Amino acid sequence: MPKPVIIPGAGRFMRSLLAPALLLGIVLTLVMPDRTVAQLPRERVETDEPVDNVFWAMTNVGISTVRNLSEGNLNSSVLHTFGLVDRGIEHLYGLDDGANTRIRLDYAISDRFSAGVGRMTFNKVVDIGGKYNILRQTTTGSIPVELAVKASMGINTMPNTGYRFSERLSYFTSVMIARKFNSFSLQLTPMIAHFNRTVGDNPDQLFGLGIVTNYELTDRLALSAEYLPVFGDRNANTHDAMALALNIDTGGHIFQIFFTSSQWHNEEFIMANNRDRFWKGDFRFGFNIHRVFGIGR
Amino acid sequence: MKTDREDVVYMTQSGYAEFKSSVPLHSFTGESNNLTGMIDFHENVIDFYLDLNTLRTGIDRRDRDMFRTLDVDEHPFAEYTGELTSSFDHDSDEKQRVTAVGEFTMHGITRDLEVSGYLQKQGDQITLEAEWILNIKDYELEPPSILFVEVDEEMEIRIETELEPRSRDETLGGN
Repeated sequence: MPKPVIIPGAGRFMRSLLAPALLLGIVLTLVMPDRTVAQLPRERVETDEPVDNVFWAMTNVGISTVRNLSEGNLNSSVLHTFGLVDRGIEHLYGLDDGANTRIRLDYAISDRFSAGVGRMTFNKVVDIGGKYNILRQTTTGSIPVELAVKASMGINTMPNTGYRFSERLSYFTSVMIARKFNSFSLQLTPMIAHFNRTVGDNPDQLFGLGIVTNYELTDRLALSAEYLPVFGDRNANTHDAMALALNIDTGGHIFQIFFTSSQWHNEEFIMANNRDRFWKGDFRFGFNIHRVFGIGR
Repeated sequence: MKTDREDVVYMTQSGYAEFKSSVPLHSFTGESNNLTGMIDFHENVIDFYLDLNTLRTGIDRRDRDMFRTLDVDEHPFAEYTGELTSSFDHDSDEKQRVTAVGEFTMHGITRDLEVSGYLQKQGDQITLEAEWILNIKDYELEPPSILFVEVDEEMEIRIETELEPRSRDETLGGN
């Protein structure tokens, strides 16, 4: 290792420079202009806005949710349910048995009110209706729940049935009460359906309570479930419907892939016609696709 | 307000800010009415910021994706601080084209930015209009995808606001 070279008096020389350098620094600090630009203090905007994504789509599997559209937006939905999974591989687990397909368009007239029209394969039912959000759960908790009402009318357009026009009509209304707790959402939906024409001793009015839950696994995936018990008189040989779904947000679409007991769409027809029991293995595959188009902007 | 011009800055807290973004065959707009900022003609300082959480595109799921892309929890503001490089005649009520140079900060990244716009005296107030093109990749933002189609990395930004005279001391405090 090389030996360090020591210059006599060097330490004293450096110390003699230190004091003037410090003094120069102090003087410059005091004399030089402050180059810091005066800025406004940055403050976040306090907002009390509706909670996002209480549910991811306007319909879970078969039950409408409190979700509504922003003014000027158009929502399109395509819903499919196939045959029972227990039909086996010969029927490709129900996929060969034909789908009951429902197509629906909803347009938001305001941020709280949307109206739309839909049509499904079974009974060629065309329905028109609307949804109005009375309350919106807010981020600050100033409004703790979502409250919405839905009303619709269905028309059986099957040809050659011999039905008069009035006999083809059915009516439905429901109240949707929901709350999102962090990643978990719960909705209770008391509902009533009226059919102008019924078969045999079936009641012309049906009462139900839809229960819908949603649990967000990630920003892109959520598990949801629904159960629709019918109370009081019910149609012969019908059972309470149930469904389990995986919701996938692709960034533009919401896909719902599910197993459900009912092949019917729309709550009134699910209550009236579901003859399958989910927990007995009577379930079928289905999928829904939802897409919102920003027409207004 | 009876103060000397040297004691006055022009300020807004409810300015309009807009971005226009596009994917093939479709474009969408995000808007906010919470643009906050001030022009200090005496010190020649322009300072504006926007709480990005106040931007809305009209579809809440798209808003959520936008906030995630912008990482608004970590970087809540888009900010511009600079100075005018052209003069503004306070005695004229004509619309006057002005240019500013400064720094624009978003997503924690700061870039130099020169912006041209218009100022116009209207009574006590001054209106400001400006627009420019922002390349989000310059701010280390990855363009989000809509059904596998990437959003254009260039966005049109437009701001429009009315600035009111305020006391400098009240506006900037001890700054």
